[in-house]
Amino acid sequence: MKVIAAGEGEVKLTDADEIRQWRRTQKTRALTDKVIDEHEAVSRFVHDGDYVSYDLSSMVRGPMSLEREIIRQKKRNLWLAAKFTLLDSTILVAGGCVSKLDVGFAGLGRTLFAAIESGRVKTIDWSNGTLALRHLAGAMGVPFLPTRALAGTDTFKRSGAKVVEDPFTGKKVCLVPAVHPDVAIIHVNQSDRSGNARVFGPSITPLETATASKNVIISAEELISTEEIRRNPGLTTIPYYLVDAVVLAPYGAHPGTVPGLYTYDSEHLAEFFSAQDDASMQKYLDKYVYGTKSHTEYLELIGKERLLKLRENETIREGYYK
Amino acid sequence: MSKAKFTEVEFMICLAARAIEDNKTVFIGYGMPQIAAILAQRLYAPGICQVYEYGAIGPQVATPFMRNMMADARNSYRSFCWTTMNTMMAHASSGFIDYGILGAAQIDPFGNINSTMIGGTYERPKIRFTGSGGGNEVASLCWRTIILMEHEKRRFVERPDFITSPGYLDGSPNAREDAGLPRNTGPYRLITSIATFDFDSQTHRMRLTGMRESVTKEFALQNMGFEPLVADKLETLATPTTEELKMLREVIDPHRVVIGRVGE
Repeated sequence: MKVIAAGEGEVKLTDADEIRQWRRTQKTRALTDKVIDEHEAVSRFVHDGDYVSYDLSSMVRGPMSLEREIIRQKKRNLWLAAKFTLLDSTILVAGGCVSKLDVGFAGLGRTLFAAIESGRVKTIDWSNGTLALRHLAGAMGVPFLPTRALAGTDTFKRSGAKVVEDPFTGKKVCLVPAVHPDVAIIHVNQSDRSGNARVFGPSITPLETATASKNVIISAEELISTEEIRRNPGLTTIPYYLVDAVVLAPYGAHPGTVPGLYTYDSEHLAEFFSAQDDASMQKYLDKYVYGTKSHTEYLELIGKERLLKLRENETIREGYYK
Repeated sequence: MSKAKFTEVEFMICLAARAIEDNKTVFIGYGMPQIAAILAQRLYAPGICQVYEYGAIGPQVATPFMRNMMADARNSYRSFCWTTMNTMMAHASSGFIDYGILGAAQIDPFGNINSTMIGGTYERPKIRFTGSGGGNEVASLCWRTIILMEHEKRRFVERPDFITSPGYLDGSPNAREDAGLPRNTGPYRLITSIATFDFDSQTHRMRLTGMRESVTKEFALQNMGFEPLVADKLETLATPTTEELKMLREVIDPHRVVIGRVGE
Protein backbone atom coordinates (compact mmCIF):
# COMPACT_ATOMS: atom_id res chain seq x y z
CA MET A 1 0.00 0.00 0.00
CA LYS A 2 1.43 3.37 -0.97
CA VAL A 3 1.82 5.81 1.94
CA ILE A 4 0.98 9.33 0.73
CA ALA A 5 1.30 11.25 3.99
CA ALA A 6 2.30 10.28 7.51
CA GLY A 7 1.62 11.97 10.84
CA GLU A 8 4.66 12.55 13.06
CA GLY A 9 3.06 11.55 16.34
CA GLU A 10 4.49 8.77 18.47
CA VAL A 11 2.32 5.67 18.40
CA LYS A 12 2.25 2.90 20.93
CA LEU A 13 2.32 -0.13 18.66
CA THR A 14 1.68 -3.63 19.87
CA ASP A 15 1.93 -6.74 17.77
CA ALA A 16 -1.53 -8.24 17.27
CA ASP A 17 -0.20 -11.80 17.60
CA GLU A 18 1.61 -10.99 20.83
CA ILE A 19 -1.68 -9.68 22.21
CA ARG A 20 -3.48 -12.82 21.06
CA GLN A 21 -0.90 -14.93 22.85
CA TRP A 22 -1.30 -12.80 25.99
CA ARG A 23 -5.02 -13.39 25.89
CA ARG A 24 -4.47 -17.10 25.46
CA THR A 25 -2.13 -17.48 28.40
CA GLN A 26 -2.90 -14.60 30.79
CA LYS A 27 -6.68 -14.20 30.71
CA THR A 28 -8.73 -16.85 32.44
CA ARG A 29 -11.97 -18.11 30.94
CA ALA A 30 -13.02 -19.60 34.25
CA LEU A 31 -15.84 -17.83 36.03
CA THR A 32 -13.67 -16.87 39.00
CA ASP A 33 -14.28 -14.37 41.76
CA LYS A 34 -12.31 -11.26 40.74
CA VAL A 35 -13.47 -8.89 43.45
CA ILE A 36 -10.55 -7.09 45.13
CA ASP A 37 -10.20 -3.62 46.64
CA GLU A 38 -8.97 -0.63 44.65
CA HIS A 39 -5.58 -0.66 46.37
CA GLU A 40 -4.84 -4.20 45.23
CA ALA A 41 -6.33 -3.67 41.75
CA VAL A 42 -4.20 -0.61 41.05
CA SER A 43 -1.01 -2.06 42.51
CA ARG A 44 -1.42 -5.28 40.52
CA PHE A 45 -2.58 -3.90 37.19
CA VAL A 46 -1.32 -0.32 36.82
CA HIS A 47 2.43 0.14 36.34
CA ASP A 48 4.69 3.11 35.73
CA GLY A 49 4.85 3.84 32.00
CA ASP A 50 1.58 2.06 31.21
CA TYR A 51 -0.81 3.18 28.49
CA VAL A 52 -4.12 3.76 30.30
CA SER A 53 -7.60 4.13 28.88
CA TYR A 54 -10.89 4.86 30.62
CA ASP A 55 -14.41 5.03 29.33
CA LEU A 56 -17.05 7.73 29.20
CA SER A 57 -15.95 10.78 31.00
CA SER A 58 -16.47 14.49 30.55
CA MET A 59 -17.82 14.37 34.10
CA VAL A 60 -19.94 11.31 33.57
CA ARG A 61 -19.29 7.78 34.83
CA GLY A 62 -15.52 8.29 34.91
CA PRO A 63 -13.51 5.87 37.10
CA MET A 64 -12.64 8.57 39.64
CA SER A 65 -12.11 6.26 42.63
CA LEU A 66 -9.52 4.25 40.66
CA GLU A 67 -7.87 7.44 39.46
CA ARG A 68 -7.57 8.75 43.01
CA GLU A 69 -5.92 5.43 43.95
CA ILE A 70 -3.51 5.73 41.00
CA ILE A 71 -2.52 9.16 42.37
CA ARG A 72 -2.17 7.80 45.92
CA GLN A 73 0.13 5.05 44.69
CA LYS A 74 2.20 7.66 42.81
CA LYS A 75 2.13 5.88 39.48
CA ARG A 76 4.32 7.77 37.02
CA ASN A 77 4.81 8.34 33.29
CA LEU A 78 1.41 7.08 32.28
CA TRP A 79 0.33 7.57 28.67
CA LEU A 80 -3.36 8.40 28.63
CA ALA A 81 -5.97 8.03 25.94
CA ALA A 82 -7.73 11.34 26.61
CA LYS A 83 -10.87 10.78 24.58
CA PHE A 84 -13.99 12.71 25.55
CA THR A 85 -12.49 13.59 28.90
CA LEU A 86 -12.53 16.37 31.40
CA LEU A 87 -12.05 15.32 35.01
CA ASP A 88 -9.96 12.21 34.37
CA SER A 89 -7.04 13.65 32.42
CA THR A 90 -7.11 16.77 34.56
CA ILE A 91 -6.80 15.02 37.93
CA LEU A 92 -4.24 12.46 36.73
CA VAL A 93 -2.05 15.20 35.25
CA ALA A 94 -2.47 17.26 38.43
CA GLY A 95 -1.40 14.19 40.41
CA GLY A 96 1.85 14.05 38.43
CA CYS A 97 1.02 10.62 37.00
CA VAL A 98 1.04 11.47 33.30
CA SER A 99 3.83 12.12 30.81
CA LYS A 100 1.94 11.67 27.52
CA LEU A 101 -1.58 12.45 26.40
CA ASP A 102 -3.18 11.09 23.25
CA VAL A 103 -5.59 13.98 22.87
CA GLY A 104 -9.09 13.68 21.72
CA PHE A 105 -10.25 16.36 24.14
CA ALA A 106 -7.40 17.30 26.48
CA GLY A 107 -9.37 18.19 29.59
CA LEU A 108 -9.94 21.44 31.42
CA GLY A 109 -8.34 23.84 33.86
CA ARG A 110 -5.11 25.77 34.24
CA THR A 111 -3.23 22.90 35.90
CA LEU A 112 -3.66 20.69 32.85
CA PHE A 113 -2.91 23.32 30.24
CA ALA A 114 0.09 24.66 32.19
CA ALA A 115 1.51 21.13 32.29
CA ILE A 116 1.29 20.97 28.49
CA GLU A 117 2.57 24.51 27.93
CA SER A 118 5.61 23.91 30.12
CA GLY A 119 6.46 20.73 28.25
CA ARG A 120 5.99 18.51 31.31
CA VAL A 121 3.24 16.62 29.50
CA LYS A 122 3.72 15.70 25.87
CA THR A 123 0.67 15.72 23.63
CA ILE A 124 -0.08 13.66 20.57
CA ASP A 125 -3.17 15.15 18.96
CA TRP A 126 -5.85 12.90 17.49
CA SER A 127 -9.61 13.42 17.75
CA ASN A 128 -12.25 11.75 19.90
CA GLY A 129 -13.49 9.76 16.92
CA THR A 130 -10.10 8.51 15.77
CA LEU A 131 -9.12 7.51 19.31
CA ALA A 132 -12.39 5.60 19.59
CA LEU A 133 -11.62 3.95 16.24
CA ARG A 134 -8.13 2.96 17.40
CA HIS A 135 -9.72 1.19 20.34
CA LEU A 136 -12.14 -0.56 17.97
CA ALA A 137 -9.21 -1.73 15.83
CA GLY A 138 -7.52 -3.01 18.98
CA ALA A 139 -10.72 -4.76 19.98
CA MET A 140 -11.05 -6.40 16.56
CA GLY A 141 -7.50 -7.71 16.60
CA VAL A 142 -6.71 -5.92 13.34
CA PRO A 143 -3.68 -3.63 12.94
CA PHE A 144 -5.54 -0.51 11.75
CA LEU A 145 -8.85 0.86 10.51
CA PRO A 146 -9.65 3.48 7.87
CA THR A 147 -11.45 6.77 8.57
CA ARG A 148 -12.87 9.51 6.35
CA ALA A 149 -11.93 12.15 8.96
CA LEU A 150 -8.62 13.65 10.17
CA ALA A 151 -6.88 14.07 6.77
CA GLY A 152 -5.72 17.48 5.57
CA THR A 153 -5.29 19.02 9.04
CA ASP A 154 -2.53 19.70 11.55
CA THR A 155 -4.34 17.29 13.82
CA PHE A 156 -3.44 14.63 11.24
CA LYS A 157 0.18 15.85 11.08
CA ARG A 158 0.60 15.61 14.86
CA SER A 159 -1.15 12.25 15.09
CA GLY A 160 0.38 8.94 14.16
CA ALA A 161 -2.11 8.31 11.34
CA LYS A 162 -1.17 7.73 7.70
CA VAL A 163 -2.92 8.61 4.45
CA VAL A 164 -2.56 5.81 1.91
CA GLU A 165 -3.86 4.91 -1.51
CA ASP A 166 -6.85 2.62 -1.05
CA PRO A 167 -5.78 -0.61 -2.81
CA PHE A 168 -9.35 -1.21 -3.98
CA THR A 169 -10.33 2.18 -5.40
CA GLY A 170 -7.07 4.12 -5.70
CA LYS A 171 -8.59 6.98 -3.67
CA LYS A 172 -6.88 8.46 -0.65
CA VAL A 173 -7.87 7.15 2.74
CA CYS A 174 -6.62 7.81 6.26
CA LEU A 175 -5.60 4.86 8.45
CA VAL A 176 -5.34 4.86 12.22
CA PRO A 177 -3.36 2.20 14.08
CA ALA A 178 -4.89 -0.11 16.67
CA VAL A 179 -4.20 0.71 20.29
CA HIS A 180 -3.87 -1.94 22.98
CA PRO A 181 -3.89 -0.14 26.32
CA ASP A 182 -1.90 -1.87 29.06
CA VAL A 183 -4.81 -1.29 31.34
CA ALA A 184 -8.41 -0.13 31.02
CA ILE A 185 -10.22 1.37 33.99
CA ILE A 186 -13.97 1.37 33.47
CA HIS A 187 -16.68 2.41 35.89
CA VAL A 188 -19.99 0.61 35.43
CA ASN A 189 -23.44 0.58 36.94
CA GLN A 190 -23.50 -3.11 37.84
CA SER A 191 -21.16 -6.10 37.66
CA ASP A 192 -21.12 -9.64 38.94
CA ARG A 193 -18.07 -10.88 40.84
CA SER A 194 -16.48 -12.24 37.64
CA GLY A 195 -16.79 -9.03 35.64
CA ASN A 196 -19.95 -9.46 33.60
CA ALA A 197 -20.66 -5.76 33.60
CA ARG A 198 -23.56 -3.50 32.73
CA VAL A 199 -23.29 0.08 31.55
CA PHE A 200 -26.59 1.96 31.45
CA GLY A 201 -26.96 4.87 29.07
CA PRO A 202 -25.04 6.18 26.07
CA SER A 203 -21.27 5.87 26.18
CA ILE A 204 -17.99 6.25 24.36
CA THR A 205 -16.23 2.90 23.96
CA PRO A 206 -16.79 0.66 27.00
CA LEU A 207 -16.70 -2.64 25.12
CA GLU A 208 -13.99 -1.60 22.63
CA THR A 209 -11.76 -0.33 25.44
CA ALA A 210 -12.25 -3.46 27.55
CA THR A 211 -11.60 -5.75 24.58
CA ALA A 212 -8.56 -3.89 23.26
CA SER A 213 -6.73 -3.70 26.60
CA LYS A 214 -4.28 -6.19 28.11
CA ASN A 215 -5.77 -5.83 31.58
CA VAL A 216 -9.15 -4.50 32.63
CA ILE A 217 -10.22 -3.14 36.00
CA ILE A 218 -13.96 -2.71 36.43
CA SER A 219 -15.24 -0.53 39.24
CA ALA A 220 -18.93 -0.96 39.90
CA GLU A 221 -21.58 1.04 41.70
CA GLU A 222 -23.22 -2.22 42.65
CA LEU A 223 -22.39 -5.95 42.66
CA ILE A 224 -25.13 -8.23 41.39
CA SER A 225 -25.36 -12.01 41.10
CA THR A 226 -24.39 -14.01 38.04
CA GLU A 227 -27.92 -15.37 38.17
CA GLU A 228 -29.24 -11.83 37.69
CA ILE A 229 -26.84 -11.38 34.74
CA ARG A 230 -28.12 -14.59 33.15
CA ARG A 231 -31.75 -13.48 33.57
CA ASN A 232 -31.18 -10.44 31.36
CA PRO A 233 -28.10 -10.99 29.19
CA GLY A 234 -29.11 -8.24 26.78
CA LEU A 235 -28.07 -5.76 29.46
CA THR A 236 -24.49 -7.03 29.68
CA THR A 237 -22.05 -4.58 28.08
CA ILE A 238 -18.76 -6.31 28.95
CA PRO A 239 -18.47 -10.12 29.26
CA TYR A 240 -16.43 -11.55 32.15
CA TYR A 241 -13.43 -13.02 30.30
CA LEU A 242 -12.28 -9.55 29.25
CA VAL A 243 -12.04 -8.52 32.89
CA ASP A 244 -9.20 -9.03 35.41
CA ALA A 245 -10.46 -7.25 38.52
CA VAL A 246 -13.77 -6.06 39.90
CA VAL A 247 -13.79 -3.32 42.51
CA LEU A 248 -16.91 -2.32 44.40
CA ALA A 249 -17.09 1.48 44.27
CA PRO A 250 -20.39 3.13 45.12
CA TYR A 251 -20.18 6.79 44.08
CA GLY A 252 -17.08 5.77 42.16
CA ALA A 253 -17.57 8.59 39.65
CA HIS A 254 -17.84 11.32 42.32
CA PRO A 255 -17.64 14.33 41.86
CA GLY A 256 -18.99 13.40 38.42
CA THR A 257 -22.38 11.85 37.78
CA VAL A 258 -23.60 8.36 37.05
CA PRO A 259 -26.73 9.14 35.02
CA GLY A 260 -29.93 7.84 36.54
CA LEU A 261 -28.24 7.26 39.90
CA TYR A 262 -26.66 10.43 41.24
CA THR A 263 -26.02 13.85 39.82
CA TYR A 264 -22.82 15.95 39.64
CA ASP A 265 -21.49 17.37 42.89
CA SER A 266 -21.39 20.95 41.61
CA GLU A 267 -19.97 22.36 44.84
CA HIS A 268 -17.10 19.89 44.82
CA LEU A 269 -16.47 20.44 41.11
CA ALA A 270 -16.28 24.17 41.72
CA GLU A 271 -13.68 23.52 44.42
CA PHE A 272 -11.69 21.28 42.06
CA PHE A 273 -11.76 23.63 39.10
CA SER A 274 -11.05 26.71 41.21
CA ALA A 275 -7.66 25.17 42.02
CA GLN A 276 -5.92 27.17 39.30
CA ASP A 277 -2.27 26.76 40.29
CA ASP A 278 0.04 24.04 41.55
CA ALA A 279 -0.22 25.12 45.18
CA SER A 280 -4.02 25.16 45.34
CA MET A 281 -4.24 21.92 43.37
CA GLN A 282 -1.77 20.35 45.81
CA LYS A 283 -4.03 21.47 48.64
CA TYR A 284 -7.00 19.84 46.93
CA LEU A 285 -5.09 16.59 46.40
CA ASP A 286 -3.77 16.63 49.99
CA LYS A 287 -7.27 16.94 51.34
CA TYR A 288 -9.19 14.55 49.12
CA VAL A 289 -6.68 12.08 47.69
CA TYR A 290 -3.57 11.78 49.87
CA GLY A 291 -5.60 12.62 52.96
CA THR A 292 -7.81 9.57 52.51
CA LYS A 293 -6.48 6.02 52.45
CA SER A 294 -9.26 4.48 50.43
CA HIS A 295 -12.44 5.21 48.51
CA THR A 296 -14.41 4.37 51.67
CA GLU A 297 -12.51 7.06 53.60
CA TYR A 298 -12.99 9.48 50.72
CA LEU A 299 -16.75 8.95 50.86
CA GLU A 300 -16.71 9.50 54.64
CA LEU A 301 -14.95 12.80 54.05
CA ILE A 302 -17.53 13.89 51.49
CA GLY A 303 -20.24 12.88 53.94
CA LYS A 304 -23.29 10.68 53.79
CA GLU A 305 -25.78 13.52 53.80
CA ARG A 306 -24.18 15.17 50.79
CA LEU A 307 -24.00 11.88 48.89
CA LEU A 308 -27.66 11.08 49.54
CA LYS A 309 -28.57 14.56 48.33
CA LEU A 310 -26.80 13.84 45.02
CA ARG A 311 -28.96 10.75 44.65
CA GLU A 312 -32.11 12.72 45.40
CA ASN A 313 -31.12 15.41 42.92
CA GLU A 314 -30.89 12.93 40.07
CA THR A 315 -34.57 13.06 39.23
CA ILE A 316 -34.28 11.34 35.86
CA ARG A 317 -34.20 7.57 36.18
CA GLU A 318 -36.04 6.50 33.06
CA GLY A 319 -33.85 4.69 30.59
CA TYR A 320 -31.34 3.74 33.27
CA TYR A 321 -33.24 2.13 36.15
CA LYS A 322 -36.85 1.02 36.44
CA MET B 1 -25.75 52.92 19.08
CA SER B 2 -28.40 52.08 21.62
CA LYS B 3 -27.46 50.01 24.64
CA ALA B 4 -27.63 46.31 23.76
CA LYS B 5 -30.56 44.45 25.21
CA PHE B 6 -29.01 41.05 24.61
CA THR B 7 -25.61 39.41 24.94
CA GLU B 8 -23.37 38.58 22.00
CA VAL B 9 -23.78 34.93 22.81
CA GLU B 10 -27.57 35.30 22.71
CA PHE B 11 -27.26 36.93 19.30
CA MET B 12 -25.14 34.09 17.91
CA ILE B 13 -27.40 31.45 19.41
CA CYS B 14 -30.54 33.02 17.92
CA LEU B 15 -28.98 33.28 14.46
CA ALA B 16 -27.82 29.68 14.63
CA ALA B 17 -31.24 28.51 15.81
CA ARG B 18 -32.86 30.24 12.84
CA ALA B 19 -30.33 28.71 10.43
CA ILE B 20 -31.12 25.12 11.41
CA GLU B 21 -33.45 23.41 8.94
CA ASP B 22 -36.34 21.40 10.30
CA ASN B 23 -36.42 17.61 9.92
CA LYS B 24 -32.66 17.32 9.60
CA THR B 25 -30.03 15.57 11.69
CA VAL B 26 -27.72 17.95 13.55
CA PHE B 27 -24.41 16.98 15.19
CA ILE B 28 -24.06 19.16 18.27
CA GLY B 29 -20.77 20.42 19.78
CA TYR B 30 -20.17 21.60 23.34
CA GLY B 31 -21.59 24.87 24.73
CA MET B 32 -23.28 27.41 22.44
CA PRO B 33 -24.31 24.79 19.85
CA GLN B 34 -26.21 22.89 22.54
CA ILE B 35 -28.29 25.95 23.46
CA ALA B 36 -28.83 26.87 19.80
CA ALA B 37 -30.18 23.40 19.05
CA ILE B 38 -32.56 23.46 22.01
CA LEU B 39 -33.83 26.92 21.01
CA ALA B 40 -34.32 25.78 17.41
CA GLN B 41 -36.19 22.70 18.56
CA ARG B 42 -38.49 24.70 20.87
CA LEU B 43 -39.27 27.57 18.47
CA TYR B 44 -38.50 26.83 14.84
CA ALA B 45 -37.54 23.30 14.01
CA PRO B 46 -39.37 20.80 16.24
CA GLY B 47 -38.46 17.96 13.89
CA ILE B 48 -34.68 18.22 14.11
CA CYS B 49 -32.83 15.19 15.42
CA GLN B 50 -29.94 16.23 17.65
CA VAL B 51 -27.07 13.78 17.68
CA TYR B 52 -24.16 13.75 20.13
CA GLU B 53 -20.77 12.11 19.80
CA TYR B 54 -21.25 10.31 23.12
CA GLY B 55 -24.02 8.22 21.64
CA ALA B 56 -27.33 10.06 22.16
CA ILE B 57 -29.62 10.23 19.11
CA GLY B 58 -32.60 12.56 19.19
CA PRO B 59 -32.76 13.67 22.84
CA GLN B 60 -35.29 16.20 24.03
CA VAL B 61 -32.74 17.85 26.29
CA ALA B 62 -34.07 18.65 29.76
CA THR B 63 -33.96 22.29 30.75
CA PRO B 64 -32.86 24.38 32.59
CA PHE B 65 -29.39 23.89 31.16
CA MET B 66 -26.71 23.18 33.78
CA ARG B 67 -23.00 23.97 33.76
CA ASN B 68 -20.89 21.43 31.80
CA MET B 69 -24.01 19.50 30.86
CA MET B 70 -22.91 16.80 28.43
CA ALA B 71 -23.53 13.05 28.33
CA ASP B 72 -25.53 13.18 31.56
CA ALA B 73 -29.16 12.22 32.14
CA ARG B 74 -30.51 15.69 31.36
CA ASN B 75 -28.65 16.04 28.08
CA SER B 76 -29.61 12.52 26.98
CA TYR B 77 -33.24 12.80 28.10
CA ARG B 78 -35.94 11.09 26.03
CA SER B 79 -33.63 10.07 23.15
CA PHE B 80 -34.63 7.73 20.36
CA CYS B 81 -31.49 5.70 20.77
CA TRP B 82 -28.51 5.41 23.07
CA THR B 83 -25.40 3.99 21.46
CA THR B 84 -21.64 4.61 21.45
CA MET B 85 -19.12 6.92 19.81
CA ASN B 86 -18.00 4.63 16.99
CA THR B 87 -21.63 4.31 15.89
CA MET B 88 -22.19 8.08 15.93
CA MET B 89 -19.05 8.72 13.89
CA ALA B 90 -20.11 5.95 11.51
CA HIS B 91 -23.45 7.71 10.98
CA ALA B 92 -21.64 10.93 10.13
CA SER B 93 -19.14 9.11 7.93
CA SER B 94 -21.83 7.25 6.01
CA GLY B 95 -23.75 10.44 5.19
CA PHE B 96 -26.66 10.44 7.64
CA ILE B 97 -25.79 13.69 9.41
CA ASP B 98 -26.89 16.87 7.64
CA TYR B 99 -25.52 19.62 9.86
CA GLY B 100 -22.78 20.04 12.39
CA ILE B 101 -22.56 23.01 14.75
CA LEU B 102 -19.18 23.92 16.24
CA GLY B 103 -17.43 26.67 18.14
CA ALA B 104 -13.91 27.89 17.22
CA ALA B 105 -10.97 29.76 18.80
CA GLN B 106 -9.56 30.85 15.41
CA ILE B 107 -10.73 30.60 11.82
CA ASP B 108 -8.96 31.25 8.49
CA PRO B 109 -10.33 32.53 5.12
CA PHE B 110 -11.25 28.99 4.05
CA GLY B 111 -13.09 28.07 7.23
CA ASN B 112 -10.32 25.96 8.75
CA ILE B 113 -10.72 25.92 12.53
CA ASN B 114 -8.15 26.07 15.31
CA SER B 115 -9.11 24.77 18.73
CA THR B 116 -5.75 23.26 19.69
CA MET B 117 -3.06 25.85 20.48
CA ILE B 118 -1.81 29.42 19.90
CA GLY B 119 1.77 30.74 19.89
CA GLY B 120 5.10 29.13 20.75
CA THR B 121 5.72 25.71 19.29
CA TYR B 122 3.50 22.66 19.17
CA GLU B 123 5.59 21.06 21.92
CA ARG B 124 5.60 24.22 24.08
CA PRO B 125 2.51 26.20 23.06
CA LYS B 126 1.93 29.65 24.53
CA ILE B 127 -1.72 28.81 25.05
CA ARG B 128 -3.03 25.28 24.83
CA PHE B 129 -6.73 24.54 24.27
CA THR B 130 -8.69 21.32 24.42
CA GLY B 131 -7.91 20.07 20.91
CA SER B 132 -10.34 18.51 18.49
CA GLY B 133 -12.73 16.67 20.75
CA GLY B 134 -15.23 15.44 18.19
CA GLY B 135 -14.81 18.66 16.18
CA ASN B 136 -12.57 17.14 13.53
CA GLU B 137 -15.13 14.45 12.76
CA VAL B 138 -18.00 16.95 12.71
CA ALA B 139 -16.16 19.28 10.33
CA SER B 140 -14.91 16.38 8.18
CA LEU B 141 -18.02 14.26 7.91
CA CYS B 142 -21.27 16.23 8.28
CA TRP B 143 -22.75 17.61 5.05
CA ARG B 144 -22.78 21.21 6.25
CA THR B 145 -20.91 22.78 9.15
CA ILE B 146 -22.15 25.89 10.94
CA ILE B 147 -19.44 27.63 12.98
CA LEU B 148 -20.06 30.02 15.87
CA MET B 149 -17.34 32.46 16.98
CA GLU B 150 -16.98 35.83 18.72
CA HIS B 151 -16.15 38.55 16.20
CA GLU B 152 -12.63 39.51 17.29
CA LYS B 153 -9.72 40.49 15.08
CA ARG B 154 -7.34 37.99 16.69
CA ARG B 155 -9.69 35.13 15.89
CA PHE B 156 -9.77 35.79 12.12
CA VAL B 157 -6.30 34.80 10.98
CA GLU B 158 -4.76 34.34 7.56
CA ARG B 159 -2.77 31.39 8.87
CA PRO B 160 -3.91 29.73 12.08
CA ASP B 161 -1.25 28.38 14.42
CA PHE B 162 -2.89 24.99 14.06
CA ILE B 163 -5.63 23.59 11.85
CA THR B 164 -7.62 21.34 14.15
CA SER B 165 -10.68 20.72 12.01
CA PRO B 166 -10.88 21.07 8.25
CA GLY B 167 -12.62 23.81 6.33
CA TYR B 168 -11.85 24.04 2.63
CA LEU B 169 -8.14 23.50 3.44
CA ASP B 170 -6.11 25.55 0.88
CA GLY B 171 -9.30 26.57 -0.92
CA SER B 172 -8.44 24.80 -4.18
CA PRO B 173 -11.53 23.41 -5.95
CA ASN B 174 -11.33 19.79 -4.73
CA ALA B 175 -9.06 20.31 -1.75
CA ARG B 176 -11.19 18.31 0.68
CA GLU B 177 -11.77 15.37 -1.61
CA ASP B 178 -8.13 15.40 -2.69
CA ALA B 179 -7.11 15.10 0.96
CA GLY B 180 -9.37 12.08 1.44
CA LEU B 181 -12.39 13.79 3.03
CA PRO B 182 -15.95 13.08 1.83
CA ARG B 183 -17.11 14.90 -1.30
CA ASN B 184 -19.48 17.91 -1.16
CA THR B 185 -18.93 18.61 2.52
CA GLY B 186 -17.52 21.65 4.29
CA PRO B 187 -18.22 24.87 6.18
CA TYR B 188 -21.63 26.30 5.36
CA ARG B 189 -22.03 29.39 7.55
CA LEU B 190 -19.95 31.32 10.02
CA ILE B 191 -22.03 33.18 12.58
CA THR B 192 -20.22 35.76 14.71
CA SER B 193 -21.34 38.17 17.40
CA ILE B 194 -22.01 40.88 14.76
CA ALA B 195 -22.06 39.28 11.31
CA THR B 196 -22.70 36.27 9.12
CA PHE B 197 -20.59 34.73 6.38
CA ASP B 198 -20.91 32.01 3.80
CA PHE B 199 -18.21 30.53 1.58
CA ASP B 200 -17.94 31.34 -2.12
CA SER B 201 -18.83 28.30 -4.18
CA GLN B 202 -15.92 28.78 -6.60
CA THR B 203 -13.04 30.09 -4.48
CA HIS B 204 -14.25 28.69 -1.14
CA ARG B 205 -13.24 31.98 0.42
CA MET B 206 -15.22 33.36 3.33
CA ARG B 207 -17.79 35.97 2.24
CA LEU B 208 -19.50 38.57 4.41
CA THR B 209 -23.26 38.26 3.93
CA GLY B 210 -24.80 40.33 6.69
CA MET B 211 -24.34 42.50 9.76
CA ARG B 212 -26.32 43.07 12.89
CA GLU B 213 -28.43 46.22 12.69
CA SER B 214 -26.43 49.37 13.50
CA VAL B 215 -23.15 47.57 12.68
CA THR B 216 -21.40 48.88 9.57
CA LYS B 217 -19.60 46.81 6.96
CA GLU B 218 -16.43 48.76 7.76
CA PHE B 219 -16.65 47.89 11.45
CA ALA B 220 -17.11 44.20 10.70
CA LEU B 221 -14.15 44.18 8.30
CA GLN B 222 -11.89 46.23 10.58
CA ASN B 223 -12.30 43.59 13.22
CA MET B 224 -10.94 40.80 11.08
CA GLY B 225 -7.34 39.74 10.53
CA PHE B 226 -7.90 39.18 6.81
CA GLU B 227 -10.13 40.50 4.07
CA PRO B 228 -13.08 38.31 3.21
CA LEU B 229 -15.17 38.58 0.07
CA VAL B 230 -18.24 40.78 0.46
CA ALA B 231 -21.64 39.86 -0.94
CA ASP B 232 -23.23 42.31 -3.40
CA LYS B 233 -26.25 42.64 -1.20
CA LEU B 234 -25.69 42.65 2.55
CA GLU B 235 -28.46 41.50 4.83
CA THR B 236 -29.40 43.29 8.05
CA LEU B 237 -29.52 40.60 10.71
CA ALA B 238 -32.49 40.75 13.02
CA THR B 239 -31.57 40.98 16.69
CA PRO B 240 -33.00 38.46 19.16
CA THR B 241 -36.76 38.73 19.46
CA THR B 242 -38.64 39.04 22.72
CA GLU B 243 -39.90 35.51 22.28
CA GLU B 244 -36.38 34.14 21.73
CA LEU B 245 -34.98 35.98 24.73
CA LYS B 246 -37.83 34.87 26.95
CA MET B 247 -37.29 31.25 25.93
CA LEU B 248 -33.53 31.51 26.46
CA ARG B 249 -33.62 33.36 29.78
CA GLU B 250 -36.66 31.87 31.44
CA VAL B 251 -36.75 28.31 30.15
CA ILE B 252 -33.55 27.08 28.54
CA ASP B 253 -30.72 28.79 30.42
CA PRO B 254 -32.13 30.68 33.43
CA HIS B 255 -28.83 30.19 35.31
CA ARG B 256 -27.13 32.02 32.40
CA VAL B 257 -24.50 29.31 32.16
CA VAL B 258 -23.93 29.83 28.45
CA ILE B 259 -25.90 32.93 27.44
CA GLY B 260 -24.42 35.25 30.09
CA ARG B 261 -25.99 38.49 31.30
CA VAL B 262 -26.29 41.85 29.59
CA GLY B 263 -23.62 44.24 30.86
CA GLU B 264 -21.24 41.54 32.07
